Amino acid sequence: MTNFGPFWRTARQSPPPSALDARRASRTTLIVLLGPALVIYAAFMIYPVLRTFWNSVHVIKPHNVEAFVGLANFKELLGNDFIFWKAVGNTAIFAIVATIADVLGGLLLALALFSGAPFVRTLRLIWFTPVLMSYVVVGVIWVWIYDYDWGLANVILRSLGLGSLEQSWLGDPRTALWSVMVTHIWKWLGFNMIIFLAALYALPGDVLGAAELDNCGWFAKLVHIIIPMLRPTIVNLTVLSFIGKMMIFDLVWIMTGGGPLWSTETVSTYVYKRAFDWNTFDLGYPSAIAVLWFLIILAFIVALTRLLRQRDRLEF
Amino acid sequence: MITWRFAAALLLVIAFGLAASPPAQAEDVTLNVWTHEADEDAKVAFRELAAKNLEAAHPGVHVKITWYEKNPLLAALKTALPAGQGPDVLYVEPDWTEYVEAGYLAPLDDLIDWNNIEPWARAVWTFNGKTYGVPQEAYTNEIYYNKDLLKKLGVELPANAQFTQSQFLDLVKKAKAAGITPIAQGVGDRPFPGAYILGEALLRKLGKEDYRKLWTGGLSFEDPRVVDVFKWTKELVDAGAYPKNFMTLKLGESHYYFYAKPGALMLPMGSWYTGRAFVPEDKGGQPKDFPLGVMQYPAMDGGACNQCKTSAVGASFAINSASKHKDIAAEFINAMSTPEMGKRWIETVYLQTGIKADVKSFSGPYAAYFTELMERQKGADYFIGGPRDLTRGECKDSFAQVMNSAFPGGLLSVDQAIKMMNAACFKG
Repeated sequence: MTNFGPFWRTARQSPPPSALDARRASRTTLIVLLGPALVIYAAFMIYPVLRTFWNSVHVIKPHNVEAFVGLANFKELLGNDFIFWKAVGNTAIFAIVATIADVLGGLLLALALFSGAPFVRTLRLIWFTPVLMSYVVVGVIWVWIYDYDWGLANVILRSLGLGSLEQSWLGDPRTALWSVMVTHIWKWLGFNMIIFLAALYALPGDVLGAAELDNCGWFAKLVHIIIPMLRPTIVNLTVLSFIGKMMIFDLVWIMTGGGPLWSTETVSTYVYKRAFDWNTFDLGYPSAIAVLWFLIILAFIVALTRLLRQRDRLEF
Repeated sequence: MITWRFAAALLLVIAFGLAASPPAQAEDVTLNVWTHEADEDAKVAFRELAAKNLEAAHPGVHVKITWYEKNPLLAALKTALPAGQGPDVLYVEPDWTEYVEAGYLAPLDDLIDWNNIEPWARAVWTFNGKTYGVPQEAYTNEIYYNKDLLKKLGVELPANAQFTQSQFLDLVKKAKAAGITPIAQGVGDRPFPGAYILGEALLRKLGKEDYRKLWTGGLSFEDPRVVDVFKWTKELVDAGAYPKNFMTLKLGESHYYFYAKPGALMLPMGSWYTGRAFVPEDKGGQPKDFPLGVMQYPAMDGGACNQCKTSAVGASFAINSASKHKDIAAEFINAMSTPEMGKRWIETVYLQTGIKADVKSFSGPYAAYFTELMERQKGADYFIGGPRDLTRGECKDSFAQVMNSAFPGGLLSVDQAIKMMNAACFKG
């Protein structure tokens, strides 16, 4: 017979389960508890989303006059708008490359700390600090670093005798997007590192210990044990990172404003420009861009989640 | 039960609070003003003085000024005005024509004392016979230069202060050879400074009528005269006219680059430059003894109007058509537009204005500068407004990306730039 001992006694002394079960709370209690949050959510999330869908099939004229145009905004967007396609290309490159770099980099940093590298606490602090900084601060710092004349990047190149490699990093369409990407990765690497580190410390010690007893090498342990067990974390970080980068706005806006020659234009910066910079009050066209992009992101997320979903649950 | 009791108590508290608050006086009015340029102390002091004067003249009126940076102001206005909200008085610039077309600005013809405003400045804000804005700031496009560096290069400014296009190119090459940056300019945070040289050259080459057509889609960028100007500008770019960090240098940094470190020969800029430069050195201003000179933009070979010059209106004020206090809003704008305030503007902001100001002679530390600036206006044939006032949508965006940035930044050939501008702007 199983010995339930102390647990049984505690359970018997607790109130009956029905009294604590949130699913059995009265309707009034639920309304009181959930109501304020739901009202705020509806006002600031659901309504704007529905309104954006509505706007996307209208031309919005001043004084709330709306003219239904069906899919005309989408046709214009897909057929004639070269800036949109440029923005789509840039965002795709950003989302794919930076996501891989973010996740892989975060994992490597976490492994370095997990494996007991010296100065673990200091390194963890240094690598995590950029996460705590606002995009504005990060953007301004890196614009200075990339400055042609006095920026740190070119100063280092010159001091190493590599002056021929100096660049106007943010001023050249060939390097601008990559330069912004480096900044973004620098900012978020620490976040991924911390998540991976937490996941690594949560791995069952007996599995890792058994592998060591079996003379499993460090690399084999990493490939055959650690990474498979980290798979849910990797999937979650990849999806979150991908979503974030598909919507990248602030850093690009601060560092380049989408230039030069639209080489760093992202879909989000383009939506903002069409809504607020193009001498028009029509929110229909920018809404169409936002709706289309929302659907594309959604499709990618579904595909990505299915692709990376683990078919067989690990047991340990 | 507890919930109902709580709600009833809350209602009682609110009701008591409402009853206890003092009744609003009939004359109590808060006039909301949204404006840009919080970073320019002299303009802040100017507008706050006008608010104080209005409050003194109208007891019970309180002026609440909210200061914005330009982009957040635009975003706030574009959401507030369509919702029937927003300020009573708002900062506007002449290229924000969508506010007029949308009917968000009240016609000011019967509200403002137009005797105090220059007719040419009022004309900038006149659409279909009605006036929608009161111009406060006016400026002309000039090339500022360092007199000492020009002398060092052994070059003398012509009597009319205008080089020919080949002399100007030679000057750029000479400065570059001497290790001096010829033109301090950057487009890191503005969509227009990189196009000063190119735009003014186009104005002189084409004359006022064709220049306007170019920006409004009536003249192709493939016109041989336009191509000639692009080719000349390309020669300047290839000669190293602009700094290497042109693409990322910000407006304020380009000023500092010109008069401090590392120093440059010329700075093409609107004459509002001095509003930022004539502040104490410890606030980033130009050194008191800086040898500042003003020259004309170069004359183009075969130019249709080499005496032409861009004059534009900048900071202006308008009244929200949904305002319930239009009369008091107009009073506030009138309070900023008296001849005394116009004089004060010139003497404290160091800038031209659309307000009629009785300033016959200049005094003070910058008197010589103002005398020289006025000298450069003699015989000028003004074109009112710039490319950003005349273009919209894709053409405006292409102006910022191509003519302001990529072309002077050396990223595009003449053919590529012409093709891109034509695709975005020409309606033929």
